[in-house]
Amino acid sequence: MAKKLTKIITAWVPQDSKVIDFGCGDGSLLKELIDSKKILGYGVEINNKKIEECIAKGVPVIKQDIDKGLHEFESSNFDISIMARSIQCLKDPSLALNRMLKLSKRCVVTLPNLGYWKCRINLASGKMPVTPELPSSWHETENIHLCTIKDFESLCKEEDIKIKDKVFLNSKGKQSKVVSISPNLLATEGVYLLEKE
Amino acid sequence: MKTKTELMFFTDGIDLESGDRLDAFELMVESYGKLNESKSNAVLVCHAFSGNHFAAGKNDDGETGWWNQIIGPEKAIDTNKFFVICCNNLGGCSGSSGPKSINPKTNKAYGSSFPQVSVSDWVNSQKILMDKLNIPSWEMVLGGSLGGMQALQWSIAYPEKIKKAGIFAAAAKSSTQNIAMNEVARESIRKDKNFHDGNYIEQGVIPKNGIKTARMLGHITYLSEKHMNSRFGRKFQDDDSKVDQDVDFEVENYLRYKGEKFSEVFDANTYILMTKAMDGYDAAGKLNGLENALEGVAAELLIIGFYSDWLYPPERGKEIQIAAMNNNIKSSYVVLDGDHGHDSFLFHNDQYSQIIRKFIQS
Repeated sequence: MAKKLTKIITAWVPQDSKVIDFGCGDGSLLKELIDSKKILGYGVEINNKKIEECIAKGVPVIKQDIDKGLHEFESSNFDISIMARSIQCLKDPSLALNRMLKLSKRCVVTLPNLGYWKCRINLASGKMPVTPELPSSWHETENIHLCTIKDFESLCKEEDIKIKDKVFLNSKGKQSKVVSISPNLLATEGVYLLEKE
Repeated sequence: MKTKTELMFFTDGIDLESGDRLDAFELMVESYGKLNESKSNAVLVCHAFSGNHFAAGKNDDGETGWWNQIIGPEKAIDTNKFFVICCNNLGGCSGSSGPKSINPKTNKAYGSSFPQVSVSDWVNSQKILMDKLNIPSWEMVLGGSLGGMQALQWSIAYPEKIKKAGIFAAAAKSSTQNIAMNEVARESIRKDKNFHDGNYIEQGVIPKNGIKTARMLGHITYLSEKHMNSRFGRKFQDDDSKVDQDVDFEVENYLRYKGEKFSEVFDANTYILMTKAMDGYDAAGKLNGLENALEGVAAELLIIGFYSDWLYPPERGKEIQIAAMNNNIKSSYVVLDGDHGHDSFLFHNDQYSQIIRKFIQS
């Protein structure tokens, strides 16, 4: 995971908290949080090779398809749940968001922005966007529910989900003043801290 | 690999969960590798229902230990790094005190009068062994099936004595179906005319047919349907290699052969005792649910299930994982392919071995 993104998420995660990371990959974010914030963290991952990498790092991990059974973790009282770059791969992103906010008070979601101007140029030329952030062609991608920053924020509003904080990143994975002028056009990625009343 | 097999005596005896007591007992203990100076590399391996202390390496008859694919130099549990111990469980029939042993009070074999032992009793006897060996704590306790139950029980009973636990193809308690299968097996033993209420040794006979049938049934439950299909299909057995002339299919021949071999080495009373211990195990016990039972656990857990295992399916491991997470225990839950059904925990596959290796060395 990009350093900047890790830094933003780390800042939102409280010291000594209990964290679950859906789609945790090789566990590097959780490892960072364990080291810097002394969290108790669990990753959820479907890929066995990545699970192996988590275990090698000493990061607790659960084999699970995150399309199924998020509700199984509701009894565990997490302080914060994280879903980085995965929500657009889920069959029902809205249900997943609500479930995450049921199993933890807050959640962090990051998503690629289909409204980014390069994506729009791709679409204007009549083709599905292929960019460094969205590198796979339409038939190979796992991203079945891509959206723009505007779309995502409308969904949060519809679902009564409160955006506590947000950061937009440019194509270099960095925050910049320019991007914040019109994130839906200029950001490649949106990073959200969400809460449900 | 440095291997040592030893019959150890414990003269202080053990109080059993049932309220019974053994005033003294013996354990057949095998170890692999070397205990380091700081005594920080000891690993306890717990065997499943029909296993014993012979976990790794090769014996004089060329047979390999039941977990030889996992334990050995540079294997998942690397005996160049770890000092690995496995003992035949109390009540077993491979050298430890059990129904075949002589009861000092009667000077006759215990037979069915050997006291019923439980998973907790095994763990307690292993703790007595640990103290005798002056091992301050286990780096890891692990096992599959009934062995996994012992690993779980270790983490509950002696939280300060175990750093990591490996619970493979296991559950926090046996299911109704598990108990049902075991009861059919036990009943076939009891109904053998040579059983004599468990006192067959005195009569100079063995209830071989009963053990054989029990094992044949057991064997079916250890394999997956897919594995049986691909291995045997509906193929007919060659006339030359039939164990009995009335055999038609290969699978029949295989089960009869396996059952026969098993009945030559395994004790019928041990069969009943071990399956009773398995059925009786409930980690939650009187503690009002698994979540409460796991409250004091300090070990890191590694729970592994196999998709093809229908006897102890992965969901049973998941229950332990959820209860562990609710207790803020560092715990991982992995489900692997493994074609061999419940028996998958016995065999090496790259991912399984890597995960065990990385967990124990992390």
